[in-house]
Amino acid sequence: MTPRPRLALAFLAVLAAAALLGAPLLGSQAVSLADVLHGDPTAAAIFWQIRLPRVLLALLAGAGLAVSGLGFQTLFRNELAEPYTLGVASGAALGAVLALRLEEATAWLGLPVVALGSFLGALSATALVVGLSLRRRDTTTSTLLLAGIAVSLSCSAIILFLQYLADSTQTFRMVRWMMGGLAVVGYREVLWVLPWVLGGAAVLFFLRWDLNLLLMGEELAASRGVDLGRLRLKVLLAASLMIGALVAVAGPIGFVGLMVPHVLRRQVGHDHLFLAPACLLGGGAFLVLCDLVARTLMAPAELPVGVLTALLGGPFFLWLLIWRSKR
Amino acid sequence: MTALLTARGLTYEADGRTILGPLDLEVHPGECLVLVGPNGAGKTTLLRLLTGLLRPRAGELFWRGRPYAALSRRELARCIAYVPQIRPARVPLTVEEVVLLGRYPHLSALQWAPKTADFTAVDEALAVVGVQELRRRPVDELSGGERQAVFIAAALAQEAELLVLDEPTIHLDARHQSDLAGLLLRLAGAAGRTVVLATHDLNLASLLGDRLLALAGGCILAAGRPAEILQPDLLERLFRARFEIVRPGERPVTLLRLEPTP
Repeated sequence: MTPRPRLALAFLAVLAAAALLGAPLLGSQAVSLADVLHGDPTAAAIFWQIRLPRVLLALLAGAGLAVSGLGFQTLFRNELAEPYTLGVASGAALGAVLALRLEEATAWLGLPVVALGSFLGALSATALVVGLSLRRRDTTTSTLLLAGIAVSLSCSAIILFLQYLADSTQTFRMVRWMMGGLAVVGYREVLWVLPWVLGGAAVLFFLRWDLNLLLMGEELAASRGVDLGRLRLKVLLAASLMIGALVAVAGPIGFVGLMVPHVLRRQVGHDHLFLAPACLLGGGAFLVLCDLVARTLMAPAELPVGVLTALLGGPFFLWLLIWRSKR
Repeated sequence: MTALLTARGLTYEADGRTILGPLDLEVHPGECLVLVGPNGAGKTTLLRLLTGLLRPRAGELFWRGRPYAALSRRELARCIAYVPQIRPARVPLTVEEVVLLGRYPHLSALQWAPKTADFTAVDEALAVVGVQELRRRPVDELSGGERQAVFIAAALAQEAELLVLDEPTIHLDARHQSDLAGLLLRLAGAAGRTVVLATHDLNLASLLGDRLLALAGGCILAAGRPAEILQPDLLERLFRARFEIVRPGERPVTLLRLEPTP
């Protein structure tokens, strides 16, 4: 199958626009666009106040997760690298759970301390994983992935320990938070996430020549003039800041960063000039659709969207492993 | 004549063991310098030091009198193009994309698309190497010889003054070895490019080299014109194997004797 980057990008743009416009109309109670525009107060409230911010956040979260997954995958030249396999998300989850345990409601930058906790957790996990491999003077893929898995497992163990110590209300909140969800959001969260996602995506887009060169291996990239140390730092920082900000408001939503770039590579090709914007649009549309399914499947009850993406992602990960081993 | 590249007291260590040097070396404009020597002699290490990919343990490297430390990776890449021996098994790009990425040191992060000059350099590189008809093909579908030619084209598109190649003919069949030797002879001879290459093929070294550098155990055993280096006793000391001079002359042709020594 020959990749058709421009055609694929146009299709994804239409898909993302359709998802953004259509998803707020659907749900446990469908509203019509005519009612919204003609000022039916109930329809307008559902559309503008409840569903649109949620859909916008899903769009941004999906876009950010997919683009940061792409960054990690190219940097480590490994299709299995994504925020979850590298321990970044587990670090974020641990940070958030620690914050929940502290039970502080102090606001910081307009967001509760839970957000700050997960933000710091994501950055610490990245620093730890990268620091470990730099200390060993070995930044090969296997070292980074192993360090990521080690950090991931340690964080999960500490989270379990904290849950065991917590009372039932706290435990419920922790478990519920760790499922990942977009249930209670307003425009404040959307505005908070927006600069991180756009900024991170812009950094990766401006590094597209470097990332394309990395596809040929680090030795060749360095010989062409890529400063590998600085490139790694920029990509890791951009991707972890995005993940930190997203996990802070939406909780850990897994596998989007793994699935979206992988599927899009086959349609769009490997050139980051097209692939980075395609991941933004495709990841956004994908998570909006997942969230739509999550809130309509058992309406009026809602499934946490993180559970849905994990249900899709687990088998996908296995399929990827089997498919890769056949090559 | 001022040297393009100068190395003084170059030393490299790994795990506390000296792998290379101390070693002095000059590369002059327009010459073709060929490194020969047994496995583990330090040929690849020397090439990686010269290209700035490895940092020497001790000693200094200069490009036209400027120390490497004063040059950014990008500046160095505009001076030296490298075709390494080991390349990733899968390169998910087309020939044209790979060669265009050779333009990286000339591209700015803020420019939307490559400029006309970049595409001209790509066209020229593809034409010199003779792989224009492959330009839309994915690199993964090419044969070993075609792949090697494409990576040389990418290095040429870099428009650096010095071309460094590590074992360019390794793993190639006879026809592709001969094609590639022809290409390298055109580049080093007629086009007057400055080339440094490492090879196990003594006849290729003899054909291309203005100067041969015999490396053993990380040190220079001998340096000189092909006729000075390609002598049975020197080769026996260098490789611990017996060679025969099949055709003497300025560019001798040698033959490795495979029968066991009595």
